[in-house]
Amino acid sequence: MARIELSGVSHRYGNDEWAVRNVNVIWEDGVASALLGPSGSGKTTVLDIISGLLRPTEGRVLVDGRDVTGMNARERNVAQVFQFPVMYETLNVFDNLAFPLRNQKMPEAEVRQRVEATAEMMGLTGLLRQNAHKLGAAEQQRVSLARGIVRKDISAVLLDEPLTVIDPQAKWHLRRQLKALHERTGITMIYVTHDQHEALTFADRVTVMNLGSVVQTGTPTELHDRPHRPFIGYFIGTPGMNLLDAQAGESGVSVGPLTVPYGADVTKRLTGRDALQLGIRPEYVEASPQPLDSGAEASVEDVDTTGHSLIVHARLGEEALKVTMDEAASVVRGDTLWIRFPVEHVNLYSEGERIEVDA
Amino acid sequence: MKLELRDAVKRFRTATALDGLTLEVDDDVDMVAIVAPTGAGKTTLLRVLAGLDRLDSGSLKVRGDDVTGIHVQKRNVSMVYQKFVNYPSLRVFDNIASPLQVSRPRPSKTEIERRVHVIAEKLGIEMYLRRYPQELSGGQRQRVALARALVKEVDLVLLDEPLGNLDYKLREALRSDLKQLSRERDALFVYATPEPIDALMMASHVAVLSEGRVVQYGPTREVHAVPRNAEVGRRFSEPPMNLLACHVEDGVLTVGPALRFPLDDAPSDGAYLLGIYPHHLHVFENGPPEPGSARIEARLEFAEVVGSDVTLRLTYEDHTMLALSDKIRSYHLDETVTVDVDPTDVYLFDASNGDLVRASDRGRRARG
Repeated sequence: MARIELSGVSHRYGNDEWAVRNVNVIWEDGVASALLGPSGSGKTTVLDIISGLLRPTEGRVLVDGRDVTGMNARERNVAQVFQFPVMYETLNVFDNLAFPLRNQKMPEAEVRQRVEATAEMMGLTGLLRQNAHKLGAAEQQRVSLARGIVRKDISAVLLDEPLTVIDPQAKWHLRRQLKALHERTGITMIYVTHDQHEALTFADRVTVMNLGSVVQTGTPTELHDRPHRPFIGYFIGTPGMNLLDAQAGESGVSVGPLTVPYGADVTKRLTGRDALQLGIRPEYVEASPQPLDSGAEASVEDVDTTGHSLIVHARLGEEALKVTMDEAASVVRGDTLWIRFPVEHVNLYSEGERIEVDA
Repeated sequence: MKLELRDAVKRFRTATALDGLTLEVDDDVDMVAIVAPTGAGKTTLLRVLAGLDRLDSGSLKVRGDDVTGIHVQKRNVSMVYQKFVNYPSLRVFDNIASPLQVSRPRPSKTEIERRVHVIAEKLGIEMYLRRYPQELSGGQRQRVALARALVKEVDLVLLDEPLGNLDYKLREALRSDLKQLSRERDALFVYATPEPIDALMMASHVAVLSEGRVVQYGPTREVHAVPRNAEVGRRFSEPPMNLLACHVEDGVLTVGPALRFPLDDAPSDGAYLLGIYPHHLHVFENGPPEPGSARIEARLEFAEVVGSDVTLRLTYEDHTMLALSDKIRSYHLDETVTVDVDPTDVYLFDASNGDLVRASDRGRRARG
C-alpha cells in the first residue's frame, strides 16, 4: 500500500521537446485513480516514471514520502498490467501465479495459500490447472492482473489500457472485477486510458493530461461539473459542454441576448479579460415555452432524440446551443424557447482557463 | 427518392440472408436506418440495393423504376463501408474526385474541382486535399470516404456502419453532419447499423430487421414509443429495454414478491413479459415514491459511465435490470438502491410470442 507523489517531474527523450512538464500529482494511498488523456498527452511517460521504467529528466518520485527516483522498476514493487496479457504461455495458471512468489523463495505452502487466495479473488479458481495459452483474452488478462497482485509487498498496481483486447461483451465483467478487486484489497490503483468512459467508470479520482501537462485532478463529478479547461468540458459528456462567446458587463456575463447576473465584485474582475467564454452543460440549461426570469428567447433549429431524452439545437443570438430536455417535452423545429443558465452551473473561461467565481 | 423492395429473397449456400423482406420508403424520407444485429441481413440488403448482389426472387424499384436486374455500374448509387476504404496512392482530392472521373459524360475539369471543393468544405476536410489518406486520422479518412460517396448526385447513398470504428466524440460530430447532408440531398440515405442510437439521432425512419425480414418499419420515434414486439423493444433502445417475466391477476401486475402495482386497461389474467426502458427505472429517489409508483430495492451490480449518463446494472430477485441515471458520481459495488417504477411507463408483451399487448401511456399517445 502506498501513497505515490510526483514532484516537479519533467521528462524529455534525448533532445526532443519535453514529453511531460512540471507534473505534480499525489495519488493517495488506497485510492482508485485514472490517468486520462488523448494519445501524445504524456500519460504513458508518467506511468513509466511511476513504475521506474523511466527515470525523469527532472523532479522526484516519492513513495510514502521516500524518494525512489533512483530505484529501478524491480525495487519499487509496483505491479504493471499492460494492454496485452503478459504470462508464461507454457505454464498453467497456478504456476503463472506462483512464479513471482517462487522467485522470492517463498515457502511452497505459503505460495499455494497466496495463489489460491488471489485466484479466488479474481474468479480463476476453476482455471488454475488450465494451460495459460488455452484461455480467452479476458481470462488471460485476469491472469496477468492476478500475477501483478499475488505478491505481498505490492505497493500499487498500474493498469495501462487493460481492456484494449477484451471484446465488448466481456468488458463489463472485467471492469466489475477490477472495481471489486480494489474495494476488497484497498490497494492503490492507477488506470491509464484515453477513454473517458473507462476512466470515469473505474476511478474515484481522475487526473487529466493534455500536451504533456496535468490540467485537472478531481472526482468524476468535479470533472463533469467544473472542468478546468474547455476541452475537458467538451470531451466528457454527450453532448459535450456548450462553449459560448461571452461578454462581461456591469450586471453580469452575457451571451447574445442572455445575461447571467453576477455581482459587481465578480464583473469587475472579468472586465478586460480576453476571449471570455461561458460553459454550460446541455443538461443544465433551463428551457421553457414560458418566459423565464433572467432568460432570453432562442429559436429551435433541430431536435434529436436519444430515446431517453431530446437534444434540442437552439440559436441564442449568434451562438449555437444544445439543450437536453425530457423525452416527453413537445418541442419541434421552428419553436421559440425561453432559455436560462442557472448561475450555479455556469463555468467561465478566459483564454482557455477556468476563472473561479463564487456563484 | 421512393424505394420499393418487395418480397426480396437472397440465399447463400448455407444460409438465407433475406427471407421475403419488404421495405417501402416514401419519397419525402431523407434517411432510413436499418437496425439489426450482425448477421441479420443488413449488409446483404445494402448489397442488393446497390446491385452488387442479385435477388433470387422479389423486386426492387427506385423512383418507380424497376431496377431489379440492373447491374451496379448502371445504377446511380454510392456506398460507404465501416472500414475506411480509400485509394492509398491517390491524394485526398483525387480520391474524392474518382467517381466523377469515371462517370459518363465526364464533367469538365473545372466542374470536378468545384464539386470536390464544395463537398470537402462541407465535411471539413478542404485543408487535407493535397494529402494522402494514410496521413489522416481515422475520423478524417472516414470523412474522405463520405465525401467521395457524396460528390456525385446519386439516388441512393448506402452506409454500412460507417461510424463503427470511430470514438464517441467523432461519432457525435459525424452524426450531425450526416443528418444535415441527408436533408440537403435528393438522395435517400440508407444507414445500416447495430446501434440504435445512430438511428435515433439521425434517421427520420427506421426498419428493424430480424432473420432476414423487417419486423417493424416506421417513423423513428414512433417505433421507439410503440415497439411491435419485445425483440424490437430490446433491439431498438440503448441501453436495451428491460424484459421481466411477470403475472397479471385481477388487474394487478406482479414481479417477484415486492414489485406489485395495479394497471389501467390490464389484459386478461396470465403470464406476460413486462417491458420497461432503462431511463424509466428511477433510482436513488429521495423521499417517498410518487403516488401510484411502486418501489423495490435492488442490488447494484455495476455502474458504467457512458456519455453524460450512468448505466446501472441491478439485480432484483433473479432478474437483471438496467437503469439509466444522469448522476455522474462514484458508485459502490453491491450497494442497495431503491428503484421506482411508474405503471404508466410499462409495456406488456405476450409471454409466448413476444407481441405487444399493451403500450405505455406515452406509446399510446404517440400512436394516437
